[in-house]
Amino acid sequence: MGHTATPPATGGLTATEHRLANGLRVVLSEDHLTPVAAVCLWYDVGSRHEVEGRTGLAHLFEHLMFQGSAQVKGNGHFELVQGAGGSLNGTTSFERTNYFETMPAHELELALWLEADRMGSLLSALDEESMDNQRDVVKNERRQRYDNVPYGTAFERMTAMVFPEGHPYHHTPIGSMADLDAASLEDARAFFRTYYAPNNAVLAIVGDIDPEQALAWADKYFGSIPGHEGKQAPRDGDLPGIMGEEKREVVEEDVPSRAMMAAYRLPQDGTREADAADLALTALGGGESSRLYARLVRHDRTAVAAGFGLLRLAGAPSLGWLDVKASGGAEVADIQAAVDEELRRFAEEGPTEEEMERAQAQLEREWLDRLATVGGRADELCRYAVLFGDPQLALTAVGRVLDVTREEVRAAAAERLRPDNRAVLVYEPLDNNDEETGQ
Amino acid sequence: MSETEAPAGVQSSMDFHPQPRSGTPKPWAFPTPERGTLPNGLTVLRCHRPGQEVVAVEVNLLAPLDAEPEGLDGVATIMARALNEGTDKHDAEEFAAELERCGATLDSHADHPGVRVSLEVPVSRLPKALGLMADALRAPAFPDSEIERLVANRLDEIPHELANPARRAAKELSHELFPAESRMSRPRQGTEETVRGIDAAAVRAFYEAHVRPATATAVVVGDLEGVDLDAALTDTLGAWKGSTAEPRPMPPISADDSGRVVIVDRPGAVQTQLLIGRIGADRHDRVWPAQLLGVYCLGGTLTSRLDRVLREEKGYTYGVRSFGQVLRSTPEGTGAAMLAISGSVATDVTGPALADLWQVLRTLAAEGLTDEERDVAVRNLVGVAPLRYETAAAVAGTLADQVEQFLPDDFQGQLYARLAETGTVEATAAAVNALPADRLVTILVGDASQIADPVRELGIGEVKVVTGG
Repeated sequence: MGHTATPPATGGLTATEHRLANGLRVVLSEDHLTPVAAVCLWYDVGSRHEVEGRTGLAHLFEHLMFQGSAQVKGNGHFELVQGAGGSLNGTTSFERTNYFETMPAHELELALWLEADRMGSLLSALDEESMDNQRDVVKNERRQRYDNVPYGTAFERMTAMVFPEGHPYHHTPIGSMADLDAASLEDARAFFRTYYAPNNAVLAIVGDIDPEQALAWADKYFGSIPGHEGKQAPRDGDLPGIMGEEKREVVEEDVPSRAMMAAYRLPQDGTREADAADLALTALGGGESSRLYARLVRHDRTAVAAGFGLLRLAGAPSLGWLDVKASGGAEVADIQAAVDEELRRFAEEGPTEEEMERAQAQLEREWLDRLATVGGRADELCRYAVLFGDPQLALTAVGRVLDVTREEVRAAAAERLRPDNRAVLVYEPLDNNDEETGQ
Repeated sequence: MSETEAPAGVQSSMDFHPQPRSGTPKPWAFPTPERGTLPNGLTVLRCHRPGQEVVAVEVNLLAPLDAEPEGLDGVATIMARALNEGTDKHDAEEFAAELERCGATLDSHADHPGVRVSLEVPVSRLPKALGLMADALRAPAFPDSEIERLVANRLDEIPHELANPARRAAKELSHELFPAESRMSRPRQGTEETVRGIDAAAVRAFYEAHVRPATATAVVVGDLEGVDLDAALTDTLGAWKGSTAEPRPMPPISADDSGRVVIVDRPGAVQTQLLIGRIGADRHDRVWPAQLLGVYCLGGTLTSRLDRVLREEKGYTYGVRSFGQVLRSTPEGTGAAMLAISGSVATDVTGPALADLWQVLRTLAAEGLTDEERDVAVRNLVGVAPLRYETAAAVAGTLADQVEQFLPDDFQGQLYARLAETGTVEATAAAVNALPADRLVTILVGDASQIADPVRELGIGEVKVVTGG
């Protein structure tokens, strides 16, 4: 194998796993370089668990988790963490909801107390007022991030094509305005009772910690929260690896240029094939020396930007997302012909040794970046614990990427990156908005 | 379900414990770099950060936007981008490939104080990547065809930027605030007209006039143990030759902040993008720590005054922030910072949201901050330092900002001490002076047919509507 970059820098990191009596899994990882400690809590619930007519509920609920609990008033969670010199947030994806705090090391106990309080007692503070308020906030989040920006709904549109109607990943976590309006306080309460339990979560504590003390605190604050078995499994996300036909949607909208986007069904996360696909997308569209960038931006000059990204999914096929913004008057048909030619050639030849080395070096760098902060490390440990049952896999992930062969990368491209396995989304600008004043 | 505050009302109750007390803080200080000069005049700041395997190198070039020739706005940007497009050793594609082979990224951008070139690379490949960076600075090829492509690419980007409400608002605010002859009134990366006029000769001329080791500084941060940095620098950035140069005088910055409103019309927009600003004190001003503190209390986070009302009480927005962003800073006091409030609100509540926003500003001026607000803000701004500076890139970025703004190397460390000494009264005064309710220029990117009338009724200044973009 041609790889010559640094040896995996995860070598020095270790983690231990523990389980409290109520089922909460606790992952600890020590690192005393900087006096900071990260707390990360993954709940095994995401938008794939939502039912018809209630899209967006998991994410709306995540907002409600910051509205106070039995011992924490109103915005107290934010105020206390920030007042202690910490930073915090929460995010919701298809497959999970995460909450995290990075604290100065001497404030670790506060973060654990806060997370335990809302895990155990959120419903005693949740009321109609905060529900209505956060519903409005989330609707504005949707407007700001999706509805009021050019191409903002592209991801939503492609996801809906790749995952058929009724599939748990057919809709994205932000949900629809109508469903957000329809969500009731009782829906939120039921959601909490169903999914927010210690045996449906993983807690990672990473950084400048005393592991024995950290575990004792975890037990003290979380240990008495009762577990329950009422969780509903998400609907089955299995799908054929190949869509079987190309789907296509043309959108005429007020966008600044034509665009050709496409989403491909790729192998599920946690498999060797997913790592091979990641390398294929990187060689094809992950940077300025990638094949598609070189072809479309440098040589043909039909694109202003061209790249591939991978959304790793564990409970359904992963998504490979191609995004090409056209240059000047370039036609989508020409761009698509060039893309198809490059993909076909790659599927036949595979990456060169040099391309393989570059792709592996890039993915290794991304891993180093993700593990460079205690917060990033805590999140990865939770990810592997929740989705694959073993946090240790986070520490060996980069090694698995470096172990993939050129032939495997070629095969992944040949099997998956084909026209009958993609949803194509084309944007055509409306031609009525080109005056500009002021300058 | 109990509606009282008592934990006792919770079903299947957990054991509640009182809020824990803080432990004993461990000492942490912003790192002080070691400063030196290479024989070619290049200033080098180095900083060893144990465990930081990805090394960050920031190079500041004293090539400010103000130095761009008349009518060639954007030439600094095209030059910065062209540094990545080949050298005397590699053509553009080979150069990109060599960088990626190191797992390195090299980004450059031009801003008012100068051009910044940023390298990040795993430490084992530092010498090789420093070599590539040095080639880019020392002997950029600037091939005609690549420059032509970068110009075309830049022209393609402009409509994308104008379509983005936040970018569009920023462009309009600069246009409104600064006099037309000031470089600051115009887009940093040029307009369609000026970019069209840029060619390889113009890029080379700008490079020859403004890029040289004697006026450049390199900041190197990361786990440098076991790296012979002196040798690596001598072979790479040390081999860069160039003449000395007289420092360029920086023109003072002025702005017209008489209260007024400009609506950039976007028929059908579901939100209104707000950008409300003026200019004020920069980091060389004694008031900077108090201003930082006061502006944070006003709108630094979702528990600050603006979001407490606009987001957490009214639900008008996903979030509104106030901030100070240094445009340029000099010891002579000719610098300034952009002080602003930004965010987006639902179209139908634009009038009420602005009314509330102004009410927050007036209440702050009338009643001041509370001691508790000040204390929480100081604890946050000072307390987050070890988190904020966990990575080499974060430390290098701040050190390079200090260099660019002609500040001493211990500025950030001193800032934490000064924040801790700043009182509530000073912070209030600084925030009120920074963002006075009657001297703000308001840019609204949104649907004029829906928002213009309600905004006129607010009395926050004359309302002008511009179309397009």
